[in-house]
Amino acid sequence: MSGLSLLSVSVVLFLIMDPIGNIAAYLTLMQGITPARRALILFREIAIAFTAMLLFNYLGEYIFTLLGISEVAVRIASGVILFLIAIKILFPSANGLRSNLPKGEPFIIPLAIPLIAGPSLLATIMLYARMESSELIMLGAIVIATLSTFVVLLLAPYLQRFLGNNGLLALEKLMGMILVLMAVQRFAEGIKQFIKTF
Amino acid sequence: MLSLALTFFLVANPIGNSPAMIALVKDCEFSRQKIILLREAIFALLLALFFQYFGEFFLDGLSIKDYAVMASGGLLLFIVALGMIFVNRSSEDSVASTRKEPFFVPIATPIISGPGLLAIIMLKSRLENNNIKITMAILLAWVGVIAVLTTAPYLQKFLGKRGLVALEQIMGLILALMSIDMIVNGTSLFIKSLHS
Repeated sequence: MSGLSLLSVSVVLFLIMDPIGNIAAYLTLMQGITPARRALILFREIAIAFTAMLLFNYLGEYIFTLLGISEVAVRIASGVILFLIAIKILFPSANGLRSNLPKGEPFIIPLAIPLIAGPSLLATIMLYARMESSELIMLGAIVIATLSTFVVLLLAPYLQRFLGNNGLLALEKLMGMILVLMAVQRFAEGIKQFIKTF
Repeated sequence: MLSLALTFFLVANPIGNSPAMIALVKDCEFSRQKIILLREAIFALLLALFFQYFGEFFLDGLSIKDYAVMASGGLLLFIVALGMIFVNRSSEDSVASTRKEPFFVPIATPIISGPGLLAIIMLKSRLENNNIKITMAILLAWVGVIAVLTTAPYLQKFLGKRGLVALEQIMGLILALMSIDMIVNGTSLFIKSLHS
């Protein structure tokens, strides 16, 4: 089975990190902190999230082999999980991750984990690490997605001023739509592969 | 161009879908409803124009096939329809304003700019080299769509409050049918793609 393209993996990871949707939470967390300090904190949190992603990337490669889970299962599972993540973005529930944020300067929790690298992102990375045989593409995709998230959050105050809260919401929903499309595509590919095994 | 515009208008089907849209926005105030529908129409327009110019590039880049577009539109619509049929009464009574107004999903897409419309737009822009003509046709179609949507809220004056509640569930049923139709179409496209 051919691997996934670098672009498609990076886009999926970026969409799951959902930096656009996290802008509001990020700005709330960073209230009363000077811009210079903000950049520093953001950099640190991104680095922590990146480390977590790398860890799960390597973990993913071995754990599924160890458990003897077939690639078809991984593919279909990743489709289903992506779909559920996208549904959460499209139809947000009142008691999500963003509803009760702790006060004070963020350190690891809640910005690095779970807002940037949440359980769904780490699970997806594990699944993708199993599907994608090329180490380079996985690493490249993680780097690209993390850097894009970094840039988006760095520019968060300007983005919010420029697009307004409604603009951000629309953009987030659009991202959710793209994620739904990719999820269904992944799922269909899994089915296709499954049919070929007969 | 007129016939193109008419096709787009008919596929977007604002008249047939307006009861469903009213049912979705029924908890908001009347003046707000018009604003919401206008906003959703503009979102749908932007989406349609985006797909006219970048649709193929975008879908190819992420290796998304047409069956996935079809099926995901259906799946989203089905979730919305389920929410309309099985309304959670108890939560509605306790906090009246908890039901949020719809934003982008589901009215702009997949109800107005659904997978069917986007697929047709992409198909036409592939056949027709004159991009301006298609854009004009889309804009022309949207004059009609916006006109229908902004007058749609008046419909509820006839229906009254009880009528609206009934309407919501009936429309939920119809949306569920439409969504399953999309899923079935997507599946048949998928099965065809297996043979080729």
